[in-house]
Amino acid sequence: MNMDSPYWNPKNEKMPREELKALQLLKLRRMCEWAEAESDFHRRRFAQAKFKPEQLRSLDDLRRIPIMTRAEWMDCQAEKPLFGDLVTAPRENAIRYHLTSGTSGRQPLRVLDSMKDWEWIAEMWCYGFWGFGVRPQDTVFFAFSYGSFIGFWGAHYCCEKLGALVLPSGNMTTENRVKQIVEMEATTVCATPTYALRMAHTAREMGIDLPSSRVNKLIVSGEPAGSIPAVKRMLEQQWGAKCGDTAGMTEIGTIMIFECSHQPGGTHILEDNFIEEVVDPRTMEVKGYGEEGERIVTSFGRGFIPLLRYRTGDLVMRMPWNKCSCGRTFDWYEGGIRGRTDDMKAIRGTNVYPRAVESIVRECPEIDEFQIVLWRKDNVQDEITVKIEVKPGFEERTAELLPRLGKDLAAAHEGLRFNVECVAHGTLPRYELKAKRLKDEREYK
Amino acid sequence: MDLLGHETTDVERELLRVYGDLKKLAGRDDVPPCVQRNVRKALACLWQVTNDLDLTFEQLRDLGV
Repeated sequence: MNMDSPYWNPKNEKMPREELKALQLLKLRRMCEWAEAESDFHRRRFAQAKFKPEQLRSLDDLRRIPIMTRAEWMDCQAEKPLFGDLVTAPRENAIRYHLTSGTSGRQPLRVLDSMKDWEWIAEMWCYGFWGFGVRPQDTVFFAFSYGSFIGFWGAHYCCEKLGALVLPSGNMTTENRVKQIVEMEATTVCATPTYALRMAHTAREMGIDLPSSRVNKLIVSGEPAGSIPAVKRMLEQQWGAKCGDTAGMTEIGTIMIFECSHQPGGTHILEDNFIEEVVDPRTMEVKGYGEEGERIVTSFGRGFIPLLRYRTGDLVMRMPWNKCSCGRTFDWYEGGIRGRTDDMKAIRGTNVYPRAVESIVRECPEIDEFQIVLWRKDNVQDEITVKIEVKPGFEERTAELLPRLGKDLAAAHEGLRFNVECVAHGTLPRYELKAKRLKDEREYK
Repeated sequence: MDLLGHETTDVERELLRVYGDLKKLAGRDDVPPCVQRNVRKALACLWQVTNDLDLTFEQLRDLGV
């Protein structure tokens, strides 16, 4: 193997677009044939939509396949516990069981993977890790609790596969994680953006200068913040390392997008293993390059759980492959996952996305942690309050900071008035996995 | 030929041969557990290689992989 290759799989990562589309069509047809033959869930839905796999003659025919939703998946699991009739094999064929994180507050989905599927899950991470510069000589630290949430599990196996030294941290405290990163001379650290910031904060409290450590790559996942420029800048400064974003979902078991070492301001789509569509979430009309929409994913990797045209709720903006200088022919999403369709909150007629608020809050270097609280005044008027914690040593700037932040937030939200409050340091919640910084206290009567 | 109709390279042909051999071995039930389980694990890895290089695209459920 040519270890100088910047690509994990040069054959596909540099494949001409026309061939890539032909490959997608071939895999799509086979996956649909498999799903129709082996999954009661898909057979039933195909019949309802009068869809037959042989109708797939070009990628445009993809739209004949019925859209699949999380609600349908949850319903089938409720009707036929534990795994529903989506699965194509008995549980005896599985080697892994995982659950969705439950971030959205809904019933978690249960997923199973076969030996082959699990291999594929690690492989997708290999595209991303190799593409961001992880090599066999690297020492990779995982700030991850290794539970039923799939999180970085696939990335752990990816690093074993590519020959790096893996440091699993399990249920270690943040202090012990920081110590081990330094002591074991980790070169790469994997965490959610929120937790990476927390580790950096803890290191400072411990008197440890992370930028002088051996860490040169920080790979984040699990939250949109990894592609928010202000957050990425903070992470890169506080760690003295390049920060690369990735995004995946338990429903597909792995990542479908990753940031390459050229850091174009977004994340490449693994188009030899997925078809990603971007549509208007209301009309389902296809969105073009540079237009924001919801991603619909079709995966070719999991045979156990065929995922065909699955609505993700993720908001993205697709860019053409040649707008990145890395040489891959895979298109990419500018700004990674830009938010979620169900994240959007309407406050007095103005749409507010937590990610947009975070991108403004993170421009203020004095702020350590924040929380967005939605509440109702006099049972009539919706209000939005951003609570902030100011970093120790920056307290004297608070009086100037509060009105400035309120003004910046209003300017980005059609003049909507934001209440900005400073709370005592250490009082807001801290997170290890996905942060939940939005608290909706409004009562709907 | 690969899935897109391109002539396969020497390495690709060798990988396909090994993949085929592992499939045959994985289907045998007259071998001890150490053989059966490790062959299946190896087959999962080879499946990934042949999938990466667009040489095959199939499911291995009937072989327990």
